[in-house]
Amino acid sequence: MAPVIPYTYIQCPCSDNSAHDNANDTHSQDSVDDDERTFDPRAPRSNYSLYPLEYLLYCEDCQQIRCPRCVNEEVVTYYCPHCLFEVPSSNLRSEGNRCTRSCYQCPVCISPLQSMSMTPSQDPSHLNADGTASQAGTYALFCQYCNWSSSEIGIEFDRPSGIHAQLAKVKNGGEHKITAKEIKEKRKENPDEPPIPDEQLDADLQFSTLKSFYQTQLADTNTAVTGMQFDSVGFSSPAALSRIMSLYTGHGHPGRKRQGPSDVMREALTTEEGLKTVDLDESMAIKKLQQLGWDETASTQQNLEQTEVSRFQDGLRPIPYLLRTKRSKRCSVCRHIISKPENKVQSTRFKIRLVAKSYIPNITIRPLNPTAPPVPTTSRPQHPEEPSLEPLKPYHYIVTFKNPLFDSIKVTLATPNTTPGRFSSKVTVLCPQFEVDANTDMWDDALKDDGRDRRRKGEESNGQLEAGKIWERGRNWVSIVLEVVPASLRLNNQEPGADVDKSPLKEDEDVLEIPMFVRMEWEADSQQDVGAAPGKDRDGREKRELAYWCVLGVGRIHHD
Amino acid sequence: MASGAGPALAHRSVASIRSAPLQGPPGPSTPHTPNRNIASAYGSPSTIRADDDVVVLELGSRHIRAGFAGDSSPKATRQCGPEDQRRVGDFRSWQAPRRHAGLDWAPEHEFWRYDLRDVDLGLCQDNLERVVRDAFTKYLLIDSRPRRLGLVLDSAVPVPLLTAVLDTMFNRFQSPTISLMASSVTAAVSAGVRSALVIDLGWAETVVTSVYEYREVKCTRSVRGGRLLLDALYKTLHSLLRENNPDSDSDDDDDDDDDESRTISFDECDDILRRLMWCRPSASKSSQRESTQLETVEEQDESEAESLQDVLQVGVTNVPINSTNPPSTLEIPFEKLAEVCDDTFFDPSVEQATFDDHELPIHLLVYQHLLQLPLDVRAICMSRIIFTGGCSNILGLKQRIIDDLKAIVNKRGWAPVAGKGVDQLRNNPKLQRRPSGSPTGDGPTSPSEAGDDQETASRGAADTSHEHDPIEAKVARYREAPPQVHGQFRVLHSLGSWTGGSLLCQLKMPAMAIIDRDVWLQQGANGASRPSDIDVKAQQRQSVTTGGYARGGGGHHTNWTLGAWGYL
Ligand SMILES: [Zn+2]
Ligand SMILES: [Zn+2]
Ligand SMILES: [Zn+2]
Ligand SMILES: [Zn+2]
Repeated sequence: MAPVIPYTYIQCPCSDNSAHDNANDTHSQDSVDDDERTFDPRAPRSNYSLYPLEYLLYCEDCQQIRCPRCVNEEVVTYYCPHCLFEVPSSNLRSEGNRCTRSCYQCPVCISPLQSMSMTPSQDPSHLNADGTASQAGTYALFCQYCNWSSSEIGIEFDRPSGIHAQLAKVKNGGEHKITAKEIKEKRKENPDEPPIPDEQLDADLQFSTLKSFYQTQLADTNTAVTGMQFDSVGFSSPAALSRIMSLYTGHGHPGRKRQGPSDVMREALTTEEGLKTVDLDESMAIKKLQQLGWDETASTQQNLEQTEVSRFQDGLRPIPYLLRTKRSKRCSVCRHIISKPENKVQSTRFKIRLVAKSYIPNITIRPLNPTAPPVPTTSRPQHPEEPSLEPLKPYHYIVTFKNPLFDSIKVTLATPNTTPGRFSSKVTVLCPQFEVDANTDMWDDALKDDGRDRRRKGEESNGQLEAGKIWERGRNWVSIVLEVVPASLRLNNQEPGADVDKSPLKEDEDVLEIPMFVRMEWEADSQQDVGAAPGKDRDGREKRELAYWCVLGVGRIHHD
Repeated sequence: MASGAGPALAHRSVASIRSAPLQGPPGPSTPHTPNRNIASAYGSPSTIRADDDVVVLELGSRHIRAGFAGDSSPKATRQCGPEDQRRVGDFRSWQAPRRHAGLDWAPEHEFWRYDLRDVDLGLCQDNLERVVRDAFTKYLLIDSRPRRLGLVLDSAVPVPLLTAVLDTMFNRFQSPTISLMASSVTAAVSAGVRSALVIDLGWAETVVTSVYEYREVKCTRSVRGGRLLLDALYKTLHSLLRENNPDSDSDDDDDDDDDESRTISFDECDDILRRLMWCRPSASKSSQRESTQLETVEEQDESEAESLQDVLQVGVTNVPINSTNPPSTLEIPFEKLAEVCDDTFFDPSVEQATFDDHELPIHLLVYQHLLQLPLDVRAICMSRIIFTGGCSNILGLKQRIIDDLKAIVNKRGWAPVAGKGVDQLRNNPKLQRRPSGSPTGDGPTSPSEAGDDQETASRGAADTSHEHDPIEAKVARYREAPPQVHGQFRVLHSLGSWTGGSLLCQLKMPAMAIIDRDVWLQQGANGASRPSDIDVKAQQRQSVTTGGYARGGGGHHTNWTLGAWGYL
């Protein structure tokens, strides 16, 4: 399913359990032999367990592949991807998970914003004459990419730095953003003043007023409640919420007379308690929508970056940069660290990183007789695109296994005779069992006697397609040949069965994918665990084995 | 008492269950090392957060919202889309052009459906795990340490699906406890009220739920929702596209499109819906009295709404469409959009009697719902209407629903069709006089009046098994009822279900149900009792006298429930 064909994906063995359960279900319905379970790369769930080799790690202690789903992560460092400053974890709690320096993204196109003076062309004498006063409100955030500026949403700044604090105080349009604290202070000064009108209660303010309302409601009675009821009732009963919050607050001791003004947690009554009635009349917004049209509305993508959904472009706010983390990874089974980055933010290196690439063979696949013209060297990274495969015509591919280990490995392959799914292509591995030599140093190799080559002379097929013979062998790699006969994509060619799925071709269903079970066996020096364990040879060699499914994406079948 | 009294006991109290000697095999994919000790053992900078923070997760059919309890808004809002369902390392989503969606384009944009026949639960789990992991990693910036979880979701989510979600969160994320909260109740909490009529204009359905004293009293549904609206919009856009370029497609291609794939991508269609959709004002708006179709039109001509309507009818907007081949610009008349909205939510052209229960127009759905509520509950709820869900952002829709609703009430009053309880209604002057009142109304009623109402209401809504609770009776007598607005239509602004869940968790208020990991791994959903089987009083006595659940009942496991989500 990757854009570049041919390709190889590997299934992390950790998903085997769940996949197996699933397979059991379907198999029992189809009454198919359970032992012959074949991994179906086309099944929707397979997308979640297949990885390119580069994404996989390896646990040396468990001798097992580890994917992002079967590792435990720990944050090493938090940092801003824009200014690269490290953020202490204690700050995250108080200031949230975004950069509080002056790092912002454009709300329109997410490019970085810069704070600049609004009046760059003004002559310096003017500034000198007016002093600092003239500079007030003369900075704004600018987008270098799309030319958006915060003055478009009516927001300007006194200073070019400390944007975060300045921005927090203004609404779009430049109006002062009222805080809960200010309301409280005002109330103290002027107890008789009516509560602020509904339209001034923005989401932040509603939340903070609501929160403090609930807190005061619960405050008096908290001790009694937690002391007695929450322990027992909070756990289970659906009625618990209602009973505690209404009937039991303040009545830890039934006979006791209530104290304080109200013993019931009541509802909020005014804007200062977080109650906001909705102004249903949206005719102004409708008028605005119709006059300004599509271009002035904010897109879904833009809104996903905003904390509050805005209908129009002028409601969008600059996006403070989301912090990032560097993480170390542990094997979820044995807890050993298998990946640990360097702490420094600027460094991209790792202290520890056990990548699967250094432990399991790298499998590559290419056509035996490529028909696509070779890509000119000037555009090398591009891969030659093979034409789509003719149905029912045999094709041959060379599959190469490169051994990264310093021990030779024995590889056993198993593929189903026909690919699973609606369109069954025929698959034959000409040589399903072979040995790949160790990844020894090249000079070591040259110094070794060449008797080994003679010993294996009979196993190579000398350019002939011959069953049981490998295609080619190198220092630490072996190629074999794979024969496929692509199925026809015609729906009426399917065998008539009880429930034939005649639905149209799904995405990538025309890609010929071959599930292949790879088992590798080798003998390694058992350096650890001096105490003799079972399965160990006398000379300190230890038999090891690793098996997993992989998927070979061969090519697209021609639509006939 | 096992843990003793303390300020933060609400959640911690549940931990006492964990100390119970529960044996049994851990779940299949559970590592054998006990997870509880991880946080303390590691000692990396984020440990403090892990111990204290409760993660609040809201699961919608198309959205997942995640953040920390006590925050005003979620840190991550993730939409479900086909790009998330690809293999790792498949970056095709970055490379245009996108393939064309098939006719049934919705499922790949939905996390789940109510109809479980269409749902592969394992796939749901995979998808949920991936999206939640991504939200945790990129937006919440938290790692794999176990965290307590508050889960906000629709109380109609079927138990097998809830089980799948809980399995994923307990097994893959090792949450020690999960608190379940109904999204309607949390929506009421984040509006500051204890009772409400929550109208969720969601994707799969429109759901009307009456919440009374933080409990769901009644819930009715209509398929008229976002999915239907999007399909209707697509049809309109598709025909507009054909009118605009009649010769760009050969007949052959057209047939192809109709059979197998959509001309405009889901995302683009959805974007148009969110940005441009609007709703016409109610026909009854300018004339409160009952009037014929003709009169209504005349009336409107004179009203000030007319000038607005005039602008609307001529208005068009040009929308660039990139998912067509080749990209094009589509001129969309605003009037067409309003038609789509009307047809989807109200269907004015069809006779009322022809609607099935599950496809009632929204104003009728709300009216029927209110009609079926006990009097006092209705009086309270109608003054606490809360709109939630994606479609509630459609300009003018909320007002239209309320105006149409008022029009029905004006016409029919609250007389049930069957005639039952009409007398009862007539004898209640309060309700008879009020319905046509202005939305923001005549302010709070006198405390005594409201007090009476509340008295009866709480009795009506209370669980029958607790009816003769002496403590409750005493409390009710002592209770000083606050003034409550009731009997008139009033719409309140809620900060949303997620935020309500955040408040509940932060204030350590008890959830509808709290599930403990160890108990879940051992018993699963099969262990859940019926909510009514839980004897609150007995438990309370037990915990006071014996110092905990586990020891009570002679070694029996304490009952626990999935709250409103039911049992197997
Ligand atoms: Zn894995
Ligand atoms: Zn920064
Ligand atoms: Zn920009
Ligand atoms: Zn391990």
